[in-house]
Amino acid sequence: MKVTVLQENLARGLSIVSRAVSPRSTLPVLANIMIASDEGRLRLSATNLELGITCWIAARIEEEGSTTVPSRTFSDLVNTLPADQVKLSLDTATQTLNIRGGTSTNDVKCIDAQEFPPLPVPDLKGAVQLNVADFKEMIQQVAFAASTDEARPVLMGVLVQVEKDKLTMAAADGFRLSVRKAVLGSSYGSFNAIIPARALNELARIAHDGEETIAMVVPKGRGQVVFRVKDVELVSQLIDGTFPDYHQIIPRNYKSRTLVSTASLLKACKQAEIFAREGSNVARLNIKSANGDMQPGEVEISATSEETGKNETIVEATVDGSGVLIAFNVKFLREVLEVVKSPNVALETGAANSPGVVRPVGDDNFLHVIMPMHLG
Amino acid sequence: MKNNWNLLGHEWAVDMLKQHVANDTARHAYLLAGPPGVGKRTLALRFAQALNCRNSSVPGEPCGDEKNCRECRQIPEMKHPDLSIIQSEEDSSTLKVDQIRELLHTLSLKPFSAKYRVSIFLRFHEANANAANALLKTLEEAPAHAILILTADTPEQLLPTIISRCEILRLRPLSASVVEQDLIRQGVNIERARLIAHISGGKPGYARRLLEDDQLLDMREQKLEDLQSLLPATRVERFAYADKLSKDKDGMRRTIHIWLSYWRDVMLRAAQANVNIVNADRNAEIEMLANQLDLSRARKVVSSLEDALGKLDANVNARLLAEVLFLDMPVVNGIQA
Repeated sequence: MKVTVLQENLARGLSIVSRAVSPRSTLPVLANIMIASDEGRLRLSATNLELGITCWIAARIEEEGSTTVPSRTFSDLVNTLPADQVKLSLDTATQTLNIRGGTSTNDVKCIDAQEFPPLPVPDLKGAVQLNVADFKEMIQQVAFAASTDEARPVLMGVLVQVEKDKLTMAAADGFRLSVRKAVLGSSYGSFNAIIPARALNELARIAHDGEETIAMVVPKGRGQVVFRVKDVELVSQLIDGTFPDYHQIIPRNYKSRTLVSTASLLKACKQAEIFAREGSNVARLNIKSANGDMQPGEVEISATSEETGKNETIVEATVDGSGVLIAFNVKFLREVLEVVKSPNVALETGAANSPGVVRPVGDDNFLHVIMPMHLG
Repeated sequence: MKNNWNLLGHEWAVDMLKQHVANDTARHAYLLAGPPGVGKRTLALRFAQALNCRNSSVPGEPCGDEKNCRECRQIPEMKHPDLSIIQSEEDSSTLKVDQIRELLHTLSLKPFSAKYRVSIFLRFHEANANAANALLKTLEEAPAHAILILTADTPEQLLPTIISRCEILRLRPLSASVVEQDLIRQGVNIERARLIAHISGGKPGYARRLLEDDQLLDMREQKLEDLQSLLPATRVERFAYADKLSKDKDGMRRTIHIWLSYWRDVMLRAAQANVNIVNADRNAEIEMLANQLDLSRARKVVSSLEDALGKLDANVNARLLAEVLFLDMPVVNGIQA
């Protein structure tokens, strides 16, 4: 293999794919990045068998070929080379890659590309086309609610459902549930898949708003999902199992509906969290309905810590229904308020022991359910 | 028909596993039990290969074409993406719960490229209680794409809850002549093949190690010589040897193993059992010893050696242990050949 590339392209490509490298694996080849000539471009790929990232960069190919290069060595080296042309040439017999940049020449020992696990070559025909900005927002609003507990693998993923022109994403960890819907540009066959939250977060990191679309395919029988953004492809293994029927968790009715400014409630939550984080993250919300016509309703948010002290913040609100005293995990409440885009948010509550629902005002596509805590 | 399993002995187990692959009735969990070197790991790897080979023309037979079949090349090398090998790390003698947890995460994902994710747990008796318990739930309800294969010296070393969740295959040592024939086929000369086959006790893996590592045979020779010279020796000489022996615990363990197989032969001869003995090259001395000692005394030595092995693992003071061992060993004169 003989290839010439620009240093900046190579460095950018390596920084994208190296996120999927697994340095401590039983398979030594997984600590490497595969490089291969591919129809006039250079293909870089890395995988940890759960997540695989491939990136194509512009290159001048003088001789076709492929090998796998140790990721750390390669990335560190390329980052120190001058911003100019980098020449890569492989001695196939010894699997040594010669890397020349500026006045420096380096020989790196590689592993045969045959040992690298084959990444799927997807057929992008019939792929679901997603708007980059919208899809990134969806990921941001849902993926944080996924569980990190290995005991229930299904909850470590995000349920992605496509039905005709509707896309629904949902994630839950047993204490909260995030659901986001969107309408797609055109109609597709229906399918659903549980995609690891980590893979979606990685996708959101790779995809830049300037790029138009993300193509998503779930090839039949492979147990994988493939995302294609311009010249980057991300492959993730799907999580095997059935996602719990979350519709049952969403409360059908409420006793009080509290409308507040998103920003002020978020600020109050952040203040309460300073005290609540010392204990078990409990914040009490005392929702008081309007007292006569002239007085507005209010929400009193308070947190107490044995050691630090206590805090109390009052936020003005429009309360529809009876007042209630309820406690939530303030970290969960803060996290959902951070991803609500509308200026006002509605908090729907029932009794002190039934879940609360957070909905952005004027946007029916997003909803978030949080289980209450003991008032203590 | 060509047999691509390429395994010495255990035909019944191979046939059974072959049927499981061919009829698509593979169990979710197997326990392969048998002494070290008998072929548990090889059998597990072949089974993984048969399960996942995509070019197989006969159901249950991997194609075995290392050039063109990724599965048949990478699985025997233990480098396949859908094959996990779980074993105690090199610097520790227990299998830890973290290793199991990591595997459980991998198992929750669908297979990477093959049909099944196969996990092989080597020497699972080394798993500590937490690790074994962490596996229980998966062992009971494994995902449809997962096959778990455990190996252990004996099933009794594992938790009963583990055993009851697996299909157990007990692999027995082969007859020495089968191993001998195989060694001769590999080009080993007849004398040497016979000796190694006997010492290996019908365990092909151990035989291969003896073949590759000359030091093992030399060490055995040396230790048996030592034993002979110690039998008529005085207490002072014996204690000096005990001191030397206890310096290296690992060496002491190996020495006791060698002596154990030797004394077992003495016991068999003393009982006038008509079976092949392991240390056939020392038949004459063993006969002589057996004549001088009766069955109960030979048995006492065997059990004191076994006892010492157990205590060595339990971290008893090695020097005291060696001294006790020599105090228990009978003084025998006149066996010097």
